[in-house]
Amino acid sequence: MEDTRLVTGAGTFAADWNVPGQFHGYFVRSDRAHAEIVAVNVEQALKHAGVKAVVTGADAVRAGYVKPLHTLNFPGKGGMQTRAPERPVLAHTGVHFVGEAVALVVAESAEAAQDAAELVEVRYRDLPAVVSPEEALAPGAPQLHENVPGNLALEAEVGDAAAVEAAFARAAHVTRLKVEVTRVAPNPMEPRAYIAAYDARADSYMLHVCCQGITTLRRHLSAYTGVPEEKLHFEVGDVGGGFGQRTPAYPEHGALMLAARQTGRPVRWVSTRAEGIACDTHGRANVIDGALALDGDGRFTAMRLDWVNDMGAYLSPASMGHIRNTSTCMTGVYRIPALYATYRVALTNTNPVSSYRGAGRPDIAYAVERLVSQAAVDLKMDAAELRRRNFIPREAFPYKTPTGSTYENADLLGLLDKALKLADWKGYTKRRAQTERAGKLRGIGIATVIENTGAGQAPKDEVELELDARGTVTIYTVSKSQGHGHETTLAMIVADALELPLERVRVRQCALEKQQLVGGHTGGSRTTVGAGSVCHLAAKKLIEHGRPAAALELGVEPSQVEYAKGEYRSKESKRAVKLGDIARAKPVSVIAEGKFGSTFPNGCHIAEVEIDPGTGAAAIASYCAVDDIGTVINHSVVEGQLHGGVAQGAGQILGEKVVYDRGSGQLLTGSFMDYYMPRAGLLPPIRGAEHPTPSTVSPLGVKGVGESGCTGSLPAVANAVMDALAPLGVGHIDMPLTPAKLWHAIHSARKSG
Amino acid sequence: MYSLSYVKAKSLKEAAAFLAKNPEAKLLAGGMTMIPTLKQRLARPTHIVDIAALPELRGIAAKGGRLVIGAGTKHHDVATSAVVRKAIPALAGLAAQIGDPQVRNRGTIGGSLANNDPAADYPAAVLGLGATVVTTQRSIAADDFFQGLFATALEEGEVIVRVEFPLPKRAAYSKFHHPASGYAMAGVFIAQTAGGVRVAVTGAGPGVFRWTAAEAALAESFKPAALEGLPLDASGLNDDIHADREYRANLVRVMAKRALAKISGKK
Repeated sequence: MEDTRLVTGAGTFAADWNVPGQFHGYFVRSDRAHAEIVAVNVEQALKHAGVKAVVTGADAVRAGYVKPLHTLNFPGKGGMQTRAPERPVLAHTGVHFVGEAVALVVAESAEAAQDAAELVEVRYRDLPAVVSPEEALAPGAPQLHENVPGNLALEAEVGDAAAVEAAFARAAHVTRLKVEVTRVAPNPMEPRAYIAAYDARADSYMLHVCCQGITTLRRHLSAYTGVPEEKLHFEVGDVGGGFGQRTPAYPEHGALMLAARQTGRPVRWVSTRAEGIACDTHGRANVIDGALALDGDGRFTAMRLDWVNDMGAYLSPASMGHIRNTSTCMTGVYRIPALYATYRVALTNTNPVSSYRGAGRPDIAYAVERLVSQAAVDLKMDAAELRRRNFIPREAFPYKTPTGSTYENADLLGLLDKALKLADWKGYTKRRAQTERAGKLRGIGIATVIENTGAGQAPKDEVELELDARGTVTIYTVSKSQGHGHETTLAMIVADALELPLERVRVRQCALEKQQLVGGHTGGSRTTVGAGSVCHLAAKKLIEHGRPAAALELGVEPSQVEYAKGEYRSKESKRAVKLGDIARAKPVSVIAEGKFGSTFPNGCHIAEVEIDPGTGAAAIASYCAVDDIGTVINHSVVEGQLHGGVAQGAGQILGEKVVYDRGSGQLLTGSFMDYYMPRAGLLPPIRGAEHPTPSTVSPLGVKGVGESGCTGSLPAVANAVMDALAPLGVGHIDMPLTPAKLWHAIHSARKSG
Repeated sequence: MYSLSYVKAKSLKEAAAFLAKNPEAKLLAGGMTMIPTLKQRLARPTHIVDIAALPELRGIAAKGGRLVIGAGTKHHDVATSAVVRKAIPALAGLAAQIGDPQVRNRGTIGGSLANNDPAADYPAAVLGLGATVVTTQRSIAADDFFQGLFATALEEGEVIVRVEFPLPKRAAYSKFHHPASGYAMAGVFIAQTAGGVRVAVTGAGPGVFRWTAAEAALAESFKPAALEGLPLDASGLNDDIHADREYRANLVRVMAKRALAKISGKK
């Protein structure tokens, strides 16, 4: 329902907002990765025409905007508590990554602010930088923060080390693999843009933002600035992509609040793409050293994963997924009796890392599925057969994993068989022969994955339905679509329950007058499970709410009243009371709430690639995805989510990577000239199918779907490329699997082989 | 963008005179390099002199054994011109691969040559065909025109008016696209010209160059096998996070072979 507006340039995004009397902000950002700030001189900048103020780190410290929230609240090894560095919203004593904001120039025009920014003089004392997480944790590495010795923010463990060790000791075979899941930049289509305004009378702030929901942002911002939540209000329009990057509060929010307060005017900032690539939170950035133990029958007996999580120079508020989700889903879709994982969270002189489509779930899926496919190669077994042998059987659900999570339900055998058929797994050797005759290499890769979605961290979700006399229903929720199609999905849920035509239902997300509603933001694939289910409950509640009034009009007992297709009727009376009639005097409102737990979508993705040995270029020749996302409300919305996710995973495997120079810490992939982005031609038409096992967690039977695509495609595409190179004797190659990398692997193998 | 003044030239003479009077002024044709440069504040000209609409810079014509293309001609027009497709189809094919549709609808051959980006496509065609760059002051042979990274033989205030391509017997261009930017990571233009075989390579080094060893080998035997084991000095090639020099040297060979295969009509 939102599509027409969004694709014809009629959407209102954050940079479309302008408020009367606004000033414009431009950030002065660090041009080096690690340095002490000796002095910040804003004299010349202040003299520039049109400049109203220059906000600096000193202002941030004075205001107490120094300690962001973090969510690494896991028990550490040996009782260790997370060491979180302070981070004034504008750097004060030092800078720790290229692009860190040091000052905010406020002027009458954006051009004046940018011109004046060049007049801000920052004197630095350079320090050595470290950009690799393993190097940062090594003895002798440059130290980023005094309160984080060894750059180790947290060390944690999960599972049973002794059981795993015992299993490895008696294993018939052990497969080992060390893999990197690269750091990527989310690059949503819409750059960040905010306007902060301060109301001196009410001592409150109004922020025009693009975000993934106001509740999490408000909580983060309140913790960061000390401003009480009830003093923070938000205006949110359309949002052009988020992928986790827009969940947390950023220093820029706080800096703009300071500027608004200082100047007494609203201050507007629009990010450039270059700022976005450098300073919007990055994703993934994990190194996993893994080992899988098997017995003589090819059954997995244990798995051990040792993680190094690169979180950048500071802990972002939304980075817990790399530990929580990876332990929740550590066993993948397999029955593995013994599991053990360690996590070492490293700080480096790079941009902070946060959630990014999957928030750890694609990472664990990749680590596990690469190990399993490698084990299949080691044992000369069919990759699908090895998986089948180790699936959690249907009767074992709900399945309690050795890391404490409980998977609700799945039909993994049915899923696998459907996918093998859809992909024509059996016919693969013919296709490979054909590819080889054309002088290329061909590989097939499979991934069977599962992930936890839906729970979120809010205490509950609330939805308000407002009915007017015309029978139009407005849904109020604090979730926020960033391209998810909520205006369609949520409307469908309510229209369905109220038996009304879809056009009679509207959705308003994060409305200014409804910001007291409790609920989660949109992330972790949870909106349909959470807010969506509550929409259903709210619709039912509305029907009940109107029954007594309808009964009165019909002159019968409420128990005699039936509701169907937008009308209350009674068996005796021929009259009907339209739903809208109960709101004749004034609009009727009901609020419903609910708390639903995690759901577990799962899928089997199969990819085939062709590699040109002359250039090393890999092309995806086919892609099949069979997904269990529970009950599906709108198939094209869901398909869109899956396709987008698949493309993001494929893009990461074949080219996306944020690269910092090892010595200087300079960002080498600062624009699309160097940062590879997946394009429409990357994937052939995806052959997809649904294989639902409805969830009983919520009344709708849905499971989350927003992130599933990349959880499947990251391992599937990688496994396909590795399969193509395996006959040459090539072992594991880390992503991105660029033409240069693949050519070198092929070339070396052919030289020695 | 820094503040600057915009001037729309009414004639080539006026543009040249303006440049002579204002040494910090820059020309604007399609803007596909100039505008991003200005937006990133990497240049600070006092004036932008817009020559995109000048009629003196337009036109595609085949006459007297040469294909003549006005400097202000857009890539799209070269790619779709029936005249170019008949006279030098490889040139039309090259233009069709530059950037993307938006870039091709604005970018010009004159702009591309004056900029001499080491990964641009046109320099390979101009050097590979032994074309002549005609300016407001003189005619410059391709072999003398390209002088390294973003450097050409153009003097201050000298404006490219047209490019004259002698018609080859046969020619082809094969390019490996940089995965991120779409520029040439290696692009090889091979032509059988009246003066012999020419092999021009772009994208792999600090500027377009002729692979003279390949020219000599192909002069003896115009077959892919002739390129096997030919010396190609990788030490002068570019080395960055996307491709090391050994890989680029490989790409040059492979693109050369594929260009050759296009010429002989094989796949």
